[in-house]
Amino acid sequence: MNAAAPQPPPEPAAAKKPARELAPALLGLLSASPFGLLMLFGFVAPLLCVVWFGFMPPKTFSLLQAPTLENYRTIFDQTYFKSILWSLGLAGGTVLVLLVICYPLAFAMAKIFRGGAAFVTYAIATSLFVSENIRLFGWVIGFMKKGVVGGTLAAWFDLQIDSLLYNVPVIILGMVYVYLPFMLFPLVLGLKMVPDQVREAAFDLGASRWQVFRRVDLPLSMPGVLIGSLLVFVLSVGAISEAKILGGQKVVTIAADIESEFTYAQNWPLGSAISTLFIALTTVVVFFALGRFDLEKLLGKKPSE
Amino acid sequence: MESSSPATPILEVATVTKRFGGFTAVDDVSFRIQEGEFFTLVGPSGSGKTTLLRMLVGMEKPTSGELRLRGRVINDLPPNQRPTCMVFQSLALFPHLSVGRNVEFPLEIRGQRSGERRTRAWELLKLLHLDPNRYYDKNIAQCSGGERQRVALARALAYDPEILFFDEPLSALDARLRKTLQKELKDLQRGTGKTFCYVTHSLEEAMVMSDRVAILRSGLIEQIGRPDEIYSSPKNAFVAEFMGEVNLLPVVGTGDATATWDTGRKTLALALPAPLPAGAAKKLLIRPESLRFLRADETAGNTLPVRILNQFSLGSRLQYHVEVAPGCTLTVERLREERVTGDTALLGWDLGDSQLLDA
Repeated sequence: MNAAAPQPPPEPAAAKKPARELAPALLGLLSASPFGLLMLFGFVAPLLCVVWFGFMPPKTFSLLQAPTLENYRTIFDQTYFKSILWSLGLAGGTVLVLLVICYPLAFAMAKIFRGGAAFVTYAIATSLFVSENIRLFGWVIGFMKKGVVGGTLAAWFDLQIDSLLYNVPVIILGMVYVYLPFMLFPLVLGLKMVPDQVREAAFDLGASRWQVFRRVDLPLSMPGVLIGSLLVFVLSVGAISEAKILGGQKVVTIAADIESEFTYAQNWPLGSAISTLFIALTTVVVFFALGRFDLEKLLGKKPSE
Repeated sequence: MESSSPATPILEVATVTKRFGGFTAVDDVSFRIQEGEFFTLVGPSGSGKTTLLRMLVGMEKPTSGELRLRGRVINDLPPNQRPTCMVFQSLALFPHLSVGRNVEFPLEIRGQRSGERRTRAWELLKLLHLDPNRYYDKNIAQCSGGERQRVALARALAYDPEILFFDEPLSALDARLRKTLQKELKDLQRGTGKTFCYVTHSLEEAMVMSDRVAILRSGLIEQIGRPDEIYSSPKNAFVAEFMGEVNLLPVVGTGDATATWDTGRKTLALALPAPLPAGAAKKLLIRPESLRFLRADETAGNTLPVRILNQFSLGSRLQYHVEVAPGCTLTVERLREERVTGDTALLGWDLGDSQLLDA
């Protein structure tokens, strides 16, 4: 009896145990489900619809038809590749210009300004509070014929200039202006990860300023460079307003093409096919870039065993 | 070490002062480092030792005074143009480069060809007991603390500096590894014949490795000398206390070679090794190993009845904490063979084993 008496109590505990182990998993699943459902019905399902719509006959509005490659044939027969190249080119140009502009500023914010860095951060973040279109129209007023720039030059220096709008550099200017925070902040974080003593050590071992930048700053801040570039590229490759507002009809981006297929042309299947193709293309470009640079290896945290 | 002639200073620090705003970090400091010696700057945190070191390597500029390397003033020479190099406290290894590439860094900067670089890196890794076959391609993140120390040292040696500076690189290691590396560092310094200048907060560490030691306190040098000189004749109570566990008794002279020691509860009369004017306050230094327990028939310069509070084993020796008066303890160290038992004992020391120091 003595030996048996202590035995019964553990049993109910043991019976309860599996239920307790299950609970965290269940709770986790439950708490993840709102977001999961949102992603499923708000993102995955529509995306699949778009992909499937791309295989429907042109100018129809039903998903329940026999699939066809008609739309893709149209894309490759016509000059949509031009819009695609424009979009990729503008996005690439924006990334390059932003890297050159933002790196020195980010360096100053991470390493040189002390309290000043917070002020610059707020100043730049505040610009995001104003709608992108309003800010772009500001540039239109600045650059149009007899606008702020032209009018000032005419009044003060008697210099007559034509409109500065509707060309590629102005589109890039608009995109650089709009996407600057998305490059700057990751770069600041990236540069903050470069330890001061490591820079000092390189300097102490005979490296010049340029060599310290080339061999220490740049490789160690690469995660920031990469994340900033990816963010800006992905955002600007789908940009539509800059080319429309500042570029007039000079350049048609792929996003503008897609918009007109869904609206004026009422050709949903063609619009869907272009979208699908473009998503695939962007994905390939992004993964290619990610594959070139191994983030964790750059951070020196990945054991190669 | 007769080869290092004491007449040739490689680095001369002449009346160097560094101020940050109103704060004087280094105050009118002068000393010389001789060619081929192991020189150590010791001081508690805030003593200005790191600021001094940063001036020596060129990362800070002195507010006044001169730094002379082989007679040439180098105050304004940036670190990348100085033939000196530093091993940082954080080691500051390049996390994105392999062990081998870290070591080759200064050679690469100098524009050496990759074959030569590799040969030199292998030599240095071998010199520092890191098997090049295993370590050359290893990631820094995979190396242990001790291995990183060696890599940092190999990288600094690859620069082939005239003086190698160290900013407490061993402080983050565990005691045993630290002791091993201290000895290796000393061996390396002898082997290469290079001038080493080390900074630490541990006088014990300084004593083990150095040919000469400078002790800093609040931006001023308290004493410079060989370790045995500092040990046998510390200039003042600060230096003596900094050396580790010592007994420093605050005494007030009562004329001739006698004094009183106010222990808080009661005042004891003591005999001194040297005369002290009446009313003058000094510190009486007695090392724990100079104190001994007396048999009933024994006498010494001073004898005190004490109560034994605690006994600790230090391996070959035993340490005792004894109470002279309530709340006032002394530290005694005796060999294991001289173990005493019981609660009370008679403690004594010879006058020659005690020293009077300025507070």
